[in-house]
Amino acid sequence: MHYGGIYEDEIVGKAYDRRLMGRFLGYLRPYRLLVVVTLLLLPPMAAARLAQPYLLKLAIDNHIVKAQMEGLPLLAGWFLLLILAESIFTYAEVWLLQYVGQKVMFDLRLALFSHVQRMPAAFFDRTPTGSLVTRLTSDVEVLGEMFAAGIITIVGDIMVLVGIIGIMLWMNLKLSLVTFSVLPLLVWVAFTFRRRMREAFRQVRARLANLNAFLAESIGGMAVVQLFNRQAREQEEFTRLNASYRDANLPVISWDAALYALVETLSSVAVGIIVWYGGGEILQGALTFGALVAFIQYIEKFFSPIRDLSAKYSIMQGAMAALERIFNLLDREHGESLGSTRGEGASLLPPPLMGGGEGGRPVERIEFRDVWFAYSGDDYVLKGFDLTIRRGETVALVGETGGGKTTVTRLLSRLYEVERGSIAFDGTDIRELPLTALRSRIGVVLQDPYLFTGSIEFNISLGDDQARSRAEEAAHIVGADRFIRHLPNGYGEEVRERGVNLSAGERQLISFARAVAFDPEILVLDEATASVDTASERLIQEGLRGLMEGRTSLVVAHRLSTIQDADRIVVIHRGEKMEEGTHQELLAKRGLYYRLYQLQFKD
Amino acid sequence: MRSRRGTYLLGGLCLLGTNSCALFIPWLMKLAVEGLQFPHKAQHQPSHYALLIIAAALLQGIIRIFSRTTLLHAARRIEFQLREELYAKLLDLDLPFFSRERTGDILSRFSNDLTNVRMLMGFGVLNVINTAIIYLAAIFLMVRISPSLTACAIIPFPLMILGVKRLSASMFRRSKRAQEELARLSSHVEENVSAAAVVRAYCRETAQIEAFREFNSRYLESNMGMARLRGWMIPVIAATGAIGTLIVLILGGSRVIAGSLTLGDFVAFNGYLAMLIWPTVVLGWILNLMQRGAASMSRLNHVLEAVATVTEPAEPASVDRLQGEIEFRNLTFSYDQQTTPLLTDISLTIKPGKKVGIAGPVGSGKSSLVRLIPRLYPVADGQIFIDGIDVNRIPLARLRGAIGFVPQESFLFSRSIGDNIGYGKEEADPGEIAAAARLASFEEDVLRFPDGYGTLVGERGVTLSGGQKQRAAIARALLKNPSILILDDPLSAVDARTEEEILESMSGYYGDRTVLIVSHRLSALRECDLILVLEEGRVVEQGDHEGLLAMGGRYAATWHEQQLRAEIERL
Repeated sequence: MHYGGIYEDEIVGKAYDRRLMGRFLGYLRPYRLLVVVTLLLLPPMAAARLAQPYLLKLAIDNHIVKAQMEGLPLLAGWFLLLILAESIFTYAEVWLLQYVGQKVMFDLRLALFSHVQRMPAAFFDRTPTGSLVTRLTSDVEVLGEMFAAGIITIVGDIMVLVGIIGIMLWMNLKLSLVTFSVLPLLVWVAFTFRRRMREAFRQVRARLANLNAFLAESIGGMAVVQLFNRQAREQEEFTRLNASYRDANLPVISWDAALYALVETLSSVAVGIIVWYGGGEILQGALTFGALVAFIQYIEKFFSPIRDLSAKYSIMQGAMAALERIFNLLDREHGESLGSTRGEGASLLPPPLMGGGEGGRPVERIEFRDVWFAYSGDDYVLKGFDLTIRRGETVALVGETGGGKTTVTRLLSRLYEVERGSIAFDGTDIRELPLTALRSRIGVVLQDPYLFTGSIEFNISLGDDQARSRAEEAAHIVGADRFIRHLPNGYGEEVRERGVNLSAGERQLISFARAVAFDPEILVLDEATASVDTASERLIQEGLRGLMEGRTSLVVAHRLSTIQDADRIVVIHRGEKMEEGTHQELLAKRGLYYRLYQLQFKD
Repeated sequence: MRSRRGTYLLGGLCLLGTNSCALFIPWLMKLAVEGLQFPHKAQHQPSHYALLIIAAALLQGIIRIFSRTTLLHAARRIEFQLREELYAKLLDLDLPFFSRERTGDILSRFSNDLTNVRMLMGFGVLNVINTAIIYLAAIFLMVRISPSLTACAIIPFPLMILGVKRLSASMFRRSKRAQEELARLSSHVEENVSAAAVVRAYCRETAQIEAFREFNSRYLESNMGMARLRGWMIPVIAATGAIGTLIVLILGGSRVIAGSLTLGDFVAFNGYLAMLIWPTVVLGWILNLMQRGAASMSRLNHVLEAVATVTEPAEPASVDRLQGEIEFRNLTFSYDQQTTPLLTDISLTIKPGKKVGIAGPVGSGKSSLVRLIPRLYPVADGQIFIDGIDVNRIPLARLRGAIGFVPQESFLFSRSIGDNIGYGKEEADPGEIAAAARLASFEEDVLRFPDGYGTLVGERGVTLSGGQKQRAAIARALLKNPSILILDDPLSAVDARTEEEILESMSGYYGDRTVLIVSHRLSALRECDLILVLEEGRVVEQGDHEGLLAMGGRYAATWHEQQLRAEIERL
């Protein structure tokens, strides 16, 4: 049985794709001046390189053979000058190429990241984190390689080749034509090689992908492998994949060795031809010694760029595949209804800031009217949900897990869009408000208090200037400043790996402080279900009171204290509102709430 | 690697052969030029030398193919062998190792470190031999032409070796720094993506883009440093070769004029000098490759020399078929010695054929208890016995072969559903697989998939729901026909009623097997002969369902709570 077939249809495309390159050239536009300079540098660079053998010819013919020392030092001086010129030009060329390449990579990464920032929350449910990270890192890196060893270098190589052919023809037409008799063979080799290589590389990559996929899975499922005594069979399968990867590599090595050897041999054969034909010419006086030596040097220079053809080919192939994936991500729509955040295509503009309009005037009434929502297909999580929240009220949502409580909070801040029905602020559909204006009115505390890498202060303010000025006050209001001040660096204490150095309760308090620091008019809070010790519980309860003080609040409640303090409790069951009222009213009803209360809130 | 000595010797000989041909060519040119300069003194026509050059070139090419394929294939074979050994080692290592090491880290050893070692064993060895041969021979021949000219001409070369080594060493250092910046950048992206909801809720998109720009700039900066260095590399190489030529042009040229050197000598000398350039460049690079290869080899050895704590018994007991009696004798366990024990002083005997339920809150030690029976984690001697034999003395394959284990996270391989179910049995036939699937109430689901049992699991096939995965894992364990069946919270992804139905349909299969079921839903344990309630690693209550209810303790309280929940669900 063979298990490794899963990735074998991986597509490894062409080494050059006009459509992709055309689009990629757009990213070169800001640096077009530099690109022009790198292109302009190519001819003098090639000239400095190609003039050296000619100087050698002059030295031999005019001085060495004629035994004329005079003038030789001057020629040597010119030679030194050419070396210097070639070095400087090459340095400038390589440096400029890399400079432009790095700048373009910088721009591409930024464009990709900004694009991802404009994606709606739902996008992240469908896209694995790893693949986004790969787009922004490895895929862009591959393009860098293309700059370092790809396109423009190839242009330079072609220029050198054409230059050599020109000089040789000019120096001695017949000898050149005789020497170039090996060229058709070279062209044939290069083409055969290209075809074979494309197939061979495809095999190598596909098999490596299979091997790695198998390995990663094996490590993940090691307990199962061992529990079912399958070590020998897994080893067998691994050996098969390992051997098939090795066997895919062997022909690549052989082809590469053959190409290397052939180029080397053809270059030496050409030297032989020059000696054979040129020797005759010299005897007849039709050729000088200097020209013979120069010819030999030119032919050696002619063959060297062809030697690393295989490396360049595989780089270009990889780059095209990366471009394809990058453009695919950039072409992903931002989602139909998030009209207000949609930027101009690939422009780097961030989403618009606080779109003023109704600034200042607080919302008197938040209304959910017949709200329907499904995360996928017809699987409705909310089915005709209605709710009205008045200014300053605290409304607690209560119900079983999966009943739709969290979804209600997500819809309010438009992390997801209502499918049917509407949510309105004082009669205005929230979809008509600028997204940033809506969200800056609402403070959201998620169930999982996500902490960023950075200081405590950064985690409260998230880098916002106004929030930073309120950070300590906010921490004080929710009662977080007591523990923060006891940390070795206080507010400057670094949060490590999403907060492993803080307790669950402390992490929550920081997320409360974050909400207060942004001083929102409306608070949306999803209480964490995780149980904490009594001391933290007391801290959190006090924190919550500070947090909700004077704000319109919608809370997914898991705490007794929260439901007791709430003005109104709404019971959601299977996406519908079942009961509504105060704690006492609902208890007296002896219905669903009564049971939930016993289950979730009573000790 | 020792077995490859012959191959390397052969590769070395080939290199000697191909380079001899290559070194012969400038000498032939010397003879040809001398012949052309003084035709009357010449022994041969120039065409004679030309033919010899072509012959040498062809021979050089043919042997070159062999030298490269021999050595580079050998390196691939060594890589293959090392990868085999690494994988075999992984199969031998236990769960404590895998929970200690990060998967990404192990994978990077398999890719990056193995590549470094291969490069060293292939291109590294090839170029070291090549460089040595060319240097020795070319310098010898150059000295034959003119010792003093040789001394002058090769002055730039040691400087170039030093230069290239310096450059590539500092490029290596900088590339490490650039890698670190890249790691920071990618963890920022990862964080941003994971925190997508927070970022949107607080309108921090712009600030995040700014922060990203900062990381992006720092990475750009470190790459620019690399680029400046890389910019030096090519001119340094080109200039060294050219300066050698320049020296030969002046000094050699003046000697030819003075008559102490022939024009042929001059041409050949230039040819040898040119042959030295490339090996010199490579030498500087090889010196760094050797350091990197050594570092990578030690990282590979870290895996190859890792010691498993769960090992085969030194003196295995002779066991035929295990009946399934399980005894815990003062069992105490912690994942590492420092932390407080997860299980404390558990003593209990389970007769063959008994059904035992295990309940308790999260972290009470339920899973740890059942994981110790097949020795997924190390057990101290004298604490767990099966059929009266210490588990540490039962050969691992025999012990695990007798146990059907359904882990909490139902891990399936990206293979066909049939292969997954038949995983535990060599060449299970389709009938057996279908029977196991039927027992686990999975058959109906499978038949609805496009290719039935042949449907692939995972990205390239169907994505199974949590409940389907769990039932596949159950079927996989049942097919093994074990004496002991362990179900570690096997149906957490389905609702309570479905769980009861599935367990009910399996009860016919139990027969005289010993069955252990861990579940957070007590309704699943109701039919058990014995139910253990764990708390903080200790058995706090035990008995059958009725008995425990009558006791009115934790079990009874949880039972009532869950009944209430079930009532709500039915509303």
